[in-house]
Amino acid sequence: MWLSCLVIGAAYASVIFASELNRLAPWGVAMGSAGALCAMMALGASRRGRLHPLAAAAILATFIIVAGGFAFALARPAEEGAGGPLWLGLPVRTAVIVYGVGLLPLLVLPLTYALTFDEQILSDDDIERVRQAARAHAASQ
Amino acid sequence: MIFVPLVQGARSQPDPTHPAIIAIAAFYFVAVAAIAVWAARRTHNARDFFVAGQGIGIVALAIAAMAATLSGFAFIGGPGLVYQSGTGAVFLVLSASITSTMGAWVLAKRMRLLGEARALITVPDAIGARYRSPAAQGLAAVAILVAVVGYMATNFLALGLLLNAMFHTGLAMGIWLAMLVTLSYTVTGGILAGIYTDLFEGLVKTTASVTVFFFVLKAGGGMEGISRAIMAVDETFLGPWGKMGPMAALSLFFVFGLGSLGQPHIAHKFYMLKDPRRLKWYPLLMSVAMTLTLLLFVGVGLAMRAFVSSGRIPPLGRADDATPAFVLGFTPSVVAGVVFAGVIAAGMSTVNSFMNIGAAAITHDLPRAFGRRVRNELRWGRIWTLVLSVSAVIVAQLSGTLVAFLGIFGYGLFASTLVPALAIGLNWRGATRQGAVASIATGLGLTLALESLSFFKAFALPSGVTTSGLALLLSLVVFFVVSWLTRAAAAAQLDPDIRAVMDS
Repeated sequence: MWLSCLVIGAAYASVIFASELNRLAPWGVAMGSAGALCAMMALGASRRGRLHPLAAAAILATFIIVAGGFAFALARPAEEGAGGPLWLGLPVRTAVIVYGVGLLPLLVLPLTYALTFDEQILSDDDIERVRQAARAHAASQ
Repeated sequence: MIFVPLVQGARSQPDPTHPAIIAIAAFYFVAVAAIAVWAARRTHNARDFFVAGQGIGIVALAIAAMAATLSGFAFIGGPGLVYQSGTGAVFLVLSASITSTMGAWVLAKRMRLLGEARALITVPDAIGARYRSPAAQGLAAVAILVAVVGYMATNFLALGLLLNAMFHTGLAMGIWLAMLVTLSYTVTGGILAGIYTDLFEGLVKTTASVTVFFFVLKAGGGMEGISRAIMAVDETFLGPWGKMGPMAALSLFFVFGLGSLGQPHIAHKFYMLKDPRRLKWYPLLMSVAMTLTLLLFVGVGLAMRAFVSSGRIPPLGRADDATPAFVLGFTPSVVAGVVFAGVIAAGMSTVNSFMNIGAAAITHDLPRAFGRRVRNELRWGRIWTLVLSVSAVIVAQLSGTLVAFLGIFGYGLFASTLVPALAIGLNWRGATRQGAVASIATGLGLTLALESLSFFKAFALPSGVTTSGLALLLSLVVFFVVSWLTRAAAAAQLDPDIRAVMDS
């Protein structure tokens, strides 16, 4: 998360202060945004510092899809003029963003959440532990 | 009238005052009234009013959260922005494939358990409990209050315009009518009425979106037909960043992706879930509902641009006319009626959520920040809902530019003030009270200062760097730095039950 913030901060600073590096700024925001969202998911999905292997794989896959999709669109030359190639009805770079970044994580993340829920996210024991702690806190007030 | 009639290419379109459209809109108002009466009979105390007695099912929660997330902007302003700026505008909603699951991992379980453990009813409550800090709770409440009045005014204005177009009420009367209808079910049935009208409204929105997208593909000759028509005359419109450029588009992805964790009207709803184990299916339900409802956002703007590019219709007078012009020109009257009901639904469901959290901030959070408690929170919650609504209506009628100004920074203000303290704070033991207070103050001060300077044309950030993005980034940095500097205090600021929630 820290690293993502630094990368985005550097990108913003290069634009605000009109640095010669500002041509790299979109790359910074692209990688930093993908990193920030995935770091946040990893933080939320961790329990006592441990991340379920399936959740780790899904979050890593999401980072590759998002960062890779943005990198593809930034690196590939424009071909969105008349007669340009289409993929599923959209220009190729746009299709990678819309179908890749916009839809692929949808197939991965919610199912990972459901599959790891009982084991990693919330069990009846977890709920009981919280309720006991809440009762103890209320009694101490 | 907000609808500019189309002339060429489209078949003879119905007027927005067509009987079928009016009948569907009228049916919608009757359904909302029925839900309000039902909910009012079940609202007996402040917990019922603010968190629906913690008795909501997972389907209602997911659809209501979707309905509150996608305001009228998703049906009017969003398609207009796509029509104007091309695919770059899609970056506003591109992160929807991620944010539902991210919200579930980061917030849903912990908010729900925290709500139960401490009998919490507001988002600032959670911040206050996490850091044992009335100051953090009070500051968060101030940030919420500043943002909700602007959000409510923007939505009342949009609803007033729509009611005026459909019923010829006049704009001022339209705004007051929109407020009175929303207020009537919010003040009587509280959030319980809000949740079930949101559920109904969410289903209307999803149906409208899917149906309209079908007509988009039909009228445009599929996605390929739409793309070819645009690409023939414009090389950048359908590029990955549209007319915005990569910096601006990617900044939207950052703010609307990470910022989704700081939206109090969504986070607040997690308190209301009856059985926390049902959260298992929340991301799937929410993601599917969001994606289906966003089809209209993307499809209509592209289709209307394609029709203009190919000469089927003249350019629109205003970008925001894209959706009304499409449904009136290219869909049957019944579909147009469902869409208009969907737009009304979208505005009302969002306003209703903001009425509730705004009233809670005044009735509940601010008094607690000063060590006081309001005796009858239910009665005062209703009174402040009324006061806030009237204030928002007055703001909506004062000045169009002021309303636009207030409406713009709501999302960014929520993101910069609540993401660090709430979303990260509930998941990171190293966060401290000092870090939370400093980050909320940074987000609030920076957003207000930069937006005001920009509004009065005294200062503007370079193209591609947004105030909301910069404020979110700096509030995160301040949160981490101050928490690190005061890290010795972190463990002592955590009560055992809060630690149990964070460890669960």
